[in-house]
Formats: sequence, C-alpha cells, structure tokens
Amino acid sequence: MDRITDLIKKSPFVPIQKHMEVSLRSTDELLNFFESATQSKWEEAQTTRRKIVDLEHKADELKAEARSLVPKSIFLSVPREDVLELVKIADEIPNIVKNISGLMIGRHMEIPTVLIPNFIKFARECAEVCRIASNATNQIDELFQFAFGRNAAEEMQKLLTELDLMEDRCDETEIILRSELFKIEKDLPPIDVMFLYSVINKVGELADTAETVGHRISLIASK
Amino acid sequence: MDIIANYGWYLLISGCIFGFFMAWGIGANDVANAMGTSVGARALTLAQAIIVACIFEFAGAYLAGGEVTSTIRKGIIDPSLLTDTPELLVFGMLAALLAAGSWLLIASYNGWPVSTTHSIVGAIVGFAAVGISVDAVSWSKVTSIVSSWVVSPLMAGTISFMIFRSVHYLILDTDDPFNNAKKYVPGYMFLVGFVLAGVTLLKGLKHIGLDLSFFEAIQYSILIGLGIAFIGSRFLKKINNTKVERGDIVFDGVERVFAILMVFTACAMAFAHGSNDVANAVGPLAAIVSVVQSGGEIAAKSVMPWWILLVGGIGIISGLAMLGYKVIETIGRNITELTPSRGFAAELAAATTVVLASGTGLPISTTHTLVGAVLGVGIARGLSAIDLSVVGRIIVSWIVTLPVGAGLSILFFFTLKGIFS
Repeated sequence: MDRITDLIKKSPFVPIQKHMEVSLRSTDELLNFFESATQSKWEEAQTTRRKIVDLEHKADELKAEARSLVPKSIFLSVPREDVLELVKIADEIPNIVKNISGLMIGRHMEIPTVLIPNFIKFARECAEVCRIASNATNQIDELFQFAFGRNAAEEMQKLLTELDLMEDRCDETEIILRSELFKIEKDLPPIDVMFLYSVINKVGELADTAETVGHRISLIASK
Repeated sequence: MDIIANYGWYLLISGCIFGFFMAWGIGANDVANAMGTSVGARALTLAQAIIVACIFEFAGAYLAGGEVTSTIRKGIIDPSLLTDTPELLVFGMLAALLAAGSWLLIASYNGWPVSTTHSIVGAIVGFAAVGISVDAVSWSKVTSIVSSWVVSPLMAGTISFMIFRSVHYLILDTDDPFNNAKKYVPGYMFLVGFVLAGVTLLKGLKHIGLDLSFFEAIQYSILIGLGIAFIGSRFLKKINNTKVERGDIVFDGVERVFAILMVFTACAMAFAHGSNDVANAVGPLAAIVSVVQSGGEIAAKSVMPWWILLVGGIGIISGLAMLGYKVIETIGRNITELTPSRGFAAELAAATTVVLASGTGLPISTTHTLVGAVLGVGIARGLSAIDLSVVGRIIVSWIVTLPVGAGLSILFFFTLKGIFS
C-alpha cells in the first residue's frame, strides 16, 4: 500500500538545529576550558577537552544526518545548495573549538595574566555570537510555519542584525586584545607568542563562522 | 441460463462474501491514508478518527457511492454483448473480485504500493477483453477512467496549491495571523460543506427518496455549507491565542484554529473516500446481483438494490475497526510535519477532487489524489521536504497493477468457467 508517510520527509532543518545546539554546548565548554587553562588547572582542562571532542563527534553525526535528508529525489522548499552550504559552515564551529582546545592543551599554553580579562571577555563575546546564530537556526521553524511570510522573515532579519552587532563587538575586543599582546610580546618566548596569536585568530574565526551561518540563514529566509 | 437458475444463489452469496472482504480490505488499508493525515496533524485522536471515519465512510458509500458503482458494474463492459451468456458476466465479476483481492493481499504482504481502484479496473478489463471479446470492453470509458488517474492528482495538487496560497495570503502572512485565522477559517468550512453537499445532492439521492432539481440542490448545498460554517465558528470561539502541547508537538493559536477546520476536512475526506472506493468492492457485486436476481437477464436499466452499498459500507467500517486503526496510528505517528494549516489544504483539495470524480462516476485512487494534494502544498512552500520518488513509485504501480490484475482475473475467469461447465 502507498503510505502517505512515504511522501512527507523529515525536515533537514531538524538535525541542523540540533547540530547548532551541540555547537553551542561546545562553545560553552570552551569557556570552561579557558577558565581552567588560565588557572593552569590542566587536569580539569583535560576533562573539558574530552567533552569537547565528544561533542564534535556528535556534531559530525548530525551533519551526516542532515545531509542524508537532502538527496536529489527530495523536493525542498528552499534551495538544496543553501541547505548543504549551511550544514558545511555550521560544522566548522565544533571543529574550531576542538582545534583551539587541542592547541592549548598540547602546549599547556599559559595566557599572560595581563591578557586574561580581555581574553575571557573576547571568548564570551564569541560564544554569544554562536548563541545568536543558534537562535536564528531555531527561528527557521517559524519561517516554515508561516510559509516564508513577510513577518517571519522580518523577525529573522532582526535577529541577524543583532548577530552582526555582536560580531562587531567581538572584533573590537579582538583588536584590543591583540594590541595588549603586541605590547608585551617582546618579553615572551617567540614561539609562545606565535601560538597565542594563533589562538586569538581561531577564537575570532569562531565568531566569523557563526556570523556566516547567520548570513546563510538570511539567504534561505529571503528566497 | 441454466447455470444462473441452478447455481444463482451460490454465485450471489460468494459474490457477497468476496465483495465484503474487498470492502473489508479497503477499510483495513486504504482509509488509513485519508484519516492518517488528520491524526498526524493531531487534529483528531486515534479514537476520534475511527469514529469519524466509520460515520463518514459509511455516509459517503451509501449516499454518494452509486455513480462509481454503476461505472464498475456496467460502464466498463458493454453488457449488450452478454445477453445470451449472462453467466459469463457473473463469472467475470467474481473473477475480478478474486483477482483484485488476492493481488492486494500479495502486494500488501510484500509492502508494494498498489491501488484498489487500479486492481479492480485492470481485473474487469482483463476478463472482458480476453474472456469475452475485445469489443466487450467500452474502451472510451476505460480511456476516460485512465486519464482521470492522471488528472485527479494534478487537479488535487492545483487546488491544494491555491488553497494553501490563499491561506498564506489571508492568514499566515498578515500582521495578526491568529485573528485572521478566526475570521477566514469559517469560509473554508463553508467550502467543505458546500462542495460535499453540492456534489452529493446534484447526483441525486433518489435511492433514499430525495429528488431535487438543480437549483434546489444548489440552494440546499449553500444552506448546508452555511450551517457547517456556523457550527465551526462556534468551536472557534473557544480557541485563544496560547500555545498548547498536544502529544509531542506544540501548537500555537493559529494552528489550533486550523486543527478545528481539519476535523471538518477529515470528515470530508472520509466521505469522499467512501463515495469512491466502496464501488471497488460492491460494483462487481452489484453486477452479479442484478444478473442473478433478474434470473439471468442482463438489464442495463435495472436499478441497483440499495442493500449492496450497505454491504460495502459495513465491510469498510469493519475492516477499519479491526485492522485500519493500527495503520492509521502508524501513519499518524510518522507525519508530524503536516501541521493542520497544511493538512487541511491537502485534505480539502483531495476530498473535493475525489467527490467530483465520484459524482462523475470515475473510479480514482484516493491515495494518489492525496499524494497530488500534498505535493501541491509542498510546491507552495508549505512543507520543508517532499520525497518525489513516491511519484515514480505510483507510476510503476500502475504499470504493474493493471496487467497483473488483468492476468489474475483471466485466470480466475477461466477456472470458474471450467468448474461450472
């Protein structure tokens, strides 16, 4: 018998939303990780690192699930390319988190005390960008519910403006952080400084990626 | 003639049994798609769906099932060629029931997609063309039936697309979706009542002693539509704009308004299904009965005894009550994507198309029509993901079911002929 159930497929946005939630959890764990690392509690940091790796695996599974839901035979109400691109970009977040924690734990990287306040602030702001991006992902449901109506799309745009603002703040903090590091870099071992810059870069990348996720969603919303 | 005189009652009783089981199978399997959408959208609970289905399937079968039944009974085959050998018609119709029934059993056991309608039409064409003569088949009728299989999903898709776009324009994409939903949903309820009543009344309810002229029928349909809209708006008054959890899904005010509407479209769907699909079971039975009761005369004019639709109606609801609920439950659990605002659009479009086909006497597949309607909603961007391979499977099921149904009925036909001669 034909079943009407065969016709209606699960939305690929369900695993994408779950994926974003996992990403968000991993950025939260990254904050914990920084907390431990800046206090040189490497045992604790190691435990957090393990959680981050687990979350990254989970994210990979969800990524695969999302991709499996958009084969060619499935008719989607949004362009397939946009969905696949969104999955691809969103999946970079837990990867970057894993890289940062790996880099720091491997070298038992010490953050110079003067940098710590702004470093933590910077990390928090980046995590906030991820949070807004995740909210935007959850808003996709509203878009569908109101069949891509004007109102739902406007709501989404509001959220995305907020996202851009937060990302700007992140950038500002990054500049301050870099200039602070620049002032003291001569007194530190050069290799350590190199890696410090690299970590700052990567944390900034986290915010950038989350912002790109938002832009992809806005593309989907506006079509 | 002798065969009818000697074995007439045996043939008639076996016809009743086969017809009843066919109806039972329709109830156990086919109703599920029609009702599953409403259960999936959480507009009805499982128990409510069964009750609604029983009442409206039966009403549809009994009140509006006559036209399609008469097509199956005497539209596909030209009975004038059989005046000398009426027993062949009886054997053929029995063979068609057996063929369609056994093919449906085999197919559903293996999980293949088949349609009851296609099986029975294939079976009747098969025994008539091979067992009697190619000229015995009214090919123009068959052509119009087959083209209606293509047209009906397309039509349902177009209607559901337009309904969903209108919902989008009038309700979803406005500043106040909730109040607009309350304002416009009674209009859709009117449509449900008007279309169903219109088709049923226009086609006539002479068999229950109601004979209306065209204008009377239209007037009564408008009244019934208004009545239904009025009843519906009483229910809508109770809805407030808060989110409510139902099962595992959270509904906001707008969707809860549509859930009320969907109760009405579910009734319409069950009615439409009953009106079209009952014929698959009782059409052949009606042919047998008319031959046997007239003592072997093939009278094209003979009026169909009313109790035949009753047999079909009871068969459908007993199948539904015994097995159908399980299938409905499975479907209901698995389609949560079809929210009430989508589900009603699909159901209303499908029900309209099926009822129109019933009124015109065209046997179509309710499931395929519903598939077309759901696709229409998807194309209107009402669903996030739709599997287009289902469309391919439907086409394959046609290509397979018609010859298999025909082949099996030829086999049964010659077997029966051999036994009785």
